[in-house]
Amino acid sequence: MSSPIPLDPSIAPPGTRNFRDAGGIPADQWHADQNGETLVPTHCCFCGVQCGMYLRVDRAGKVFGVEPRNHDINRMRLCPKGINAYQQINHPDRLTAPLMRRSRDEPFREASWEEALDFTVAEIRRIQGAYGNDAFGLLGGASLFSEKTYLVGKFGRVALKTRHVDYNGRLCMVSAAGANKLAFGIDRAGNPFSDILLTDCLLIAGSNVGECFPVMTQYLWGARDRGASLIVIDPRETAIARTADIHVALRPGTDAAFFNAVLHVVIEENLVDKEFVAEHTTGWDEVRAAVADCTPETAADICGIPASQVVQVARAFAGAKRAMAWHARGIEHHSQGVENCLTVINLCTATGHLGKPGAGYGTITGQGNGQGGREHGQKSDLLPGGRSISNPEHRRQICEIWGIEESELPPAGTSMMEMVWQMQRQEIRGLIGICNNPFVSLPNYATVKNGYDTLEFHAQFDFFLSETAANAHVVFPVTTWAEDEGVMANAEARVVKHNKAQEPPPGVRTDTWVMCQLAGRLGVGDKFDYPGSREVFEELRIASAGTVNDYYGITYERLEETGGIAWPCPSTDHPGTPRLFEGGKTSHPDGKIHMQVVEWHPPMDPYDEEHPMSLTTGRTVAHFLSGNQTRRLGALVEQTPRPWVEVHPSHGFRNGDPVRVVTRRGSEVFPALVTEAIRPDTVFIPYHWPVPTAANALTIDALDPRSKIPEYKVCACRIEAAERIDEVPAPPTAPGQVAYPATQVSRTDPLPPTSPQGRGTAERS
Amino acid sequence: MMGRTIFIDPGRCIGCQACVSACRECDSHRGKSMIHLDYPDEGHSVASLPTVCMHCEDPVAPCAEVCPADAILVTADGVVQQADTTRCIGCANCVNACPFGVPKIDLQAKLQMKCNLCYDRTAYGLAPMCATVCPTGALFYGTVEELRAERPGVQVADSFTFGDVVVSTGVAMVVPADKVQWPVPGGLPIVEVNGKAVNQVNSGTAGGGRQADGKDVTR
Amino acid sequence: MPPPVTAAAVARAPRSVALRATLAGVAVSVLLVLAIVFGSRLLKDFDSALLPYAVATVFLAFGVAYRYTVWISSPGARRLFKQGWRSLFSVANFRKAPTALPKMIATYLGFQKFLGARSHARWAAHQLIFWGCILAAAITFPLTWGWFTFTSGSGSGPGYEMRIWGFKILGFDALSVVGWLMFHGLDIAAVLVIPGASYFLWRRMKDRGAITGQRFGYDLVPLIALIVISVTGLLLTFSSIFLHGGGYEFLAILHMVSVVFTLIYIPFGKFFHIVQRPAAVGMQLFKYTTRQDEQVFPCKRCGEPIDTAPYVENLRGTMRDLKLDFDAWAQYCPRCKRVLRGTAYLSHVKKGFK
Repeated sequence: MSSPIPLDPSIAPPGTRNFRDAGGIPADQWHADQNGETLVPTHCCFCGVQCGMYLRVDRAGKVFGVEPRNHDINRMRLCPKGINAYQQINHPDRLTAPLMRRSRDEPFREASWEEALDFTVAEIRRIQGAYGNDAFGLLGGASLFSEKTYLVGKFGRVALKTRHVDYNGRLCMVSAAGANKLAFGIDRAGNPFSDILLTDCLLIAGSNVGECFPVMTQYLWGARDRGASLIVIDPRETAIARTADIHVALRPGTDAAFFNAVLHVVIEENLVDKEFVAEHTTGWDEVRAAVADCTPETAADICGIPASQVVQVARAFAGAKRAMAWHARGIEHHSQGVENCLTVINLCTATGHLGKPGAGYGTITGQGNGQGGREHGQKSDLLPGGRSISNPEHRRQICEIWGIEESELPPAGTSMMEMVWQMQRQEIRGLIGICNNPFVSLPNYATVKNGYDTLEFHAQFDFFLSETAANAHVVFPVTTWAEDEGVMANAEARVVKHNKAQEPPPGVRTDTWVMCQLAGRLGVGDKFDYPGSREVFEELRIASAGTVNDYYGITYERLEETGGIAWPCPSTDHPGTPRLFEGGKTSHPDGKIHMQVVEWHPPMDPYDEEHPMSLTTGRTVAHFLSGNQTRRLGALVEQTPRPWVEVHPSHGFRNGDPVRVVTRRGSEVFPALVTEAIRPDTVFIPYHWPVPTAANALTIDALDPRSKIPEYKVCACRIEAAERIDEVPAPPTAPGQVAYPATQVSRTDPLPPTSPQGRGTAERS
Repeated sequence: MMGRTIFIDPGRCIGCQACVSACRECDSHRGKSMIHLDYPDEGHSVASLPTVCMHCEDPVAPCAEVCPADAILVTADGVVQQADTTRCIGCANCVNACPFGVPKIDLQAKLQMKCNLCYDRTAYGLAPMCATVCPTGALFYGTVEELRAERPGVQVADSFTFGDVVVSTGVAMVVPADKVQWPVPGGLPIVEVNGKAVNQVNSGTAGGGRQADGKDVTR
Repeated sequence: MPPPVTAAAVARAPRSVALRATLAGVAVSVLLVLAIVFGSRLLKDFDSALLPYAVATVFLAFGVAYRYTVWISSPGARRLFKQGWRSLFSVANFRKAPTALPKMIATYLGFQKFLGARSHARWAAHQLIFWGCILAAAITFPLTWGWFTFTSGSGSGPGYEMRIWGFKILGFDALSVVGWLMFHGLDIAAVLVIPGASYFLWRRMKDRGAITGQRFGYDLVPLIALIVISVTGLLLTFSSIFLHGGGYEFLAILHMVSVVFTLIYIPFGKFFHIVQRPAAVGMQLFKYTTRQDEQVFPCKRCGEPIDTAPYVENLRGTMRDLKLDFDAWAQYCPRCKRVLRGTAYLSHVKKGFK
């Protein structure tokens, strides 16, 4: 204590003096002299809620801020990600020139667009010439505008002529999509958010709504204000589970057992809506027989919950006048993800809670365009308008629109994770990735890295250098959402329009432009003559006309007038279809709900003495997906600088202790966040960070046999005390740059956050 | 309680910190967030508590009263302003006297800063940034009638007990109907510190648990 | 725009305080009058043309003394005021850190480093105004009081000598650089003040944060007054050099009116911070002294330092003076206060949604 007292003797307690938490613009350089600003109405780039917002544009035409917008999806509300989203646009880490290298041993160098495009096309030609068209793959993303997702599918099939096209919605929405298609013949949420306000009983299965879809919480709370009860199924006591009327903290990977038992009780207690079931379903007898043995006691055993909770949930849900179920990745990220969703659908169907105001079923899409991104052909087995690539009639229709011979249209390809395995086997030797970051988002990182390293050529499109792009040969700098226009479909299947707020920085092009340039060089320029999104959308409208996912009646002008239209919308005077299944009618030819038998099976990663616990993964409110965007935004890094492992106090760790989490794939050390809000047999790690702090270095690459979704939400693990925690690496940047230091100040803070939502404002150093 | 004010309901709060980020977007203190978001049940649950300035009405603004430089002003409608930049000497009296733990201080700039109910926005007819964006309505801006229109039958309380002292405030808390006549406990007397009971006047023998004897606190 | 802002904390001063303040004001005014009379060698050196200025300074002295007395009568200020002087007159403290006070004065009052942390541009503008005003005050106050005289043996230069209270301080040639500076000191001051005040005025037109809540009388009048004084002062020089005195009379009156107004305004408006601000050094010195003794007070719950122990004790005294009877609360850091209140809400009001 002998160090000299500074001349300024002031001290102040923690939380009263921290002003470092500025966002992208250093606080002392900010001048609030923005008179003459323009407000551009648009939507958030992040999750599937698609909140409306205004971007504030200054006189020089640059986005400099955000203003809440009274759009009826969000009614002014925004989450921390949405508020900080604008800071990406003029961020110092933006890529502004194509990066190129001939081999991964070389460093990147900046290249001209001509050079980068020519090199990419030469590599495509070389690989496809030597190993066949299918040796080149294409992976899209569901944060792209629908126009671009349509273009990814068309580019893969028409320009690359490869069957290997897939997208990162494979890690997100496919289980729900598969279940919806099976049961209803249509793949979208049955009810709009506004129906939640009308319900009497709301069941949320496997969704941390408070953190992953914060703005959707207002609908949950609105329903409760009007007297609805809330049931939450989640191994963790999340913000919505904390105050729920019933919180079922089941063991990860046991959802199907739970919902089968709930259905069992519904049948036992005579709560089935017999009329509805008789009139509108097929397969009910089989389902009924299948759940006959699924007693609450069996479920209690499997799920690790009291049997009484099963009965409670059954009575609350089936007994309510109007009840509604929404689910998300918590039940979908499983090796029986499709089946888990089907058990929820079975419950809604058996109780007649479908297709009514305040009664129904919905799935909450994770990515901004998680709904729209899966509709128009960037999925390995689908063509625009939700058409099947295996259906001859569908193939013929699309070939006609695209102006190609049916024989030229490749067959169905494989899923994203399977493509990685094919890369390892050198069945795929070249790849273009657009709007995805599998190095963080795919499970079992070691496999993913090996697969990508085996590629002879790899190009990535992105506006920040992602961990995956940093491993590529060519990186194309493309626009953010605010520098181009386009549509997205939110979790309600409401199509909303994003408007262009500013010109892209010099050197940056739209994804559309890059795909068209590549297609031109591949000799199909005539089929890729799109000046911008508007022209792509016109083609998409036509390509979807008459299908289940009918966009024909949706135009940019109508979207600007209405604030969003839910498909199907077959004609320009059609109001859209916010609510499906009215009168119990589905999109199957017979108009019925096809109930499916589900039998629970344990997760793919077996428990043993070495790996007795469950590891589950998920999101935290301050970050989004692979974090390539949010890990660069100062306020969000400040809120949640690093991942942690959430453990129950019964394991004897103290907050902040280094804890090693070991699975069969690897081990990593995280600081412990000790909390009673998690099951003692389960640990949780958020997945937004790269190795060596990547949850996905530990997760298993087991897939659902139908949807091919990886089993992110459960694998076997053990925890042990460790010496020191693994440090979060800085986000990658273009050569000669460092990640914008003002945003990275707290990244190396070794402590876990105060709570899963982040550090309290007084806990920031 | 002011006519148009903020109503805080920690029971609805999901701790997402949208308010913290939104506060930073206010033009008058861009980049600096004035709101506090705490997780008071750390280790037990994810419960969270947003704290904006409560705009004390009786006693009127303790922060202003203890200010040696007359730097904290109160508007006619009861909004306690942040320190006047020309007067504030950065002594931190307000920081440590505030019963709600609201004011912040920039030690380098010798300047107190705190929530001022977004006068830069309310002056233009906009609601405060935090309450505008709050995804859950844990922070609600408006009149109590407007609040009731959204949440039928909701009750609010605008006084807090600190030991024997009752502080009534411009900003109100949402309370259950059966507790509407109570002042909301302000946290004093301290009945436990890190799980151990401390002997304070009025605290009795709370017994060291997390639950304290409610009567002492609220009466 | 929000309604006008009133200082809440400064309740009507009780009669005893008003009486004391009046006495202080009268005493200081009388002292100043005496100082003028004797300083100008029984008005021998007093320039009667400057009489309005001198009268204004007497009013200024009364106003400042009155307001200052009222100010330090409030509990918060009085206690810190006393602590500041106590630290200043502590011999032990002086021995330990003899340079602390001058250093603090230089950084806080002179170079105003803390303003740089708020904004570099505002710091620069304030420095311009500050040094301009210091310079102007240093020249004009003694002149109006008849303390300074500039006399020339020949009656019209170029050799001048400057006298204070009749004593010769220096002689200079009016045509030399020194001479030029001596005669144009006020012009230099004006040149410093104008850009500084103009920047602030411009900012008050443009900056959304500054515009909202600004009050004409409090925020804009001082800036306008400074600019008017400086511009009219410069125009006086311009008139005498280039216009052979054209418009001099009018400008002189305008200048005088603006100066007199500003002087009388000082105790009541924004400029009072000039008088108040030195007290900040007392506060700093108090904290500095007590920290040297390592008397840091930890939060009773989390143990994080709150401030020095004598400071916390001083604050608790202030709170008791003000009948804020939750002064025990000052022993907890703000975060613990919030957390304890949050915990109390969870356990006594409601734990969940309803």
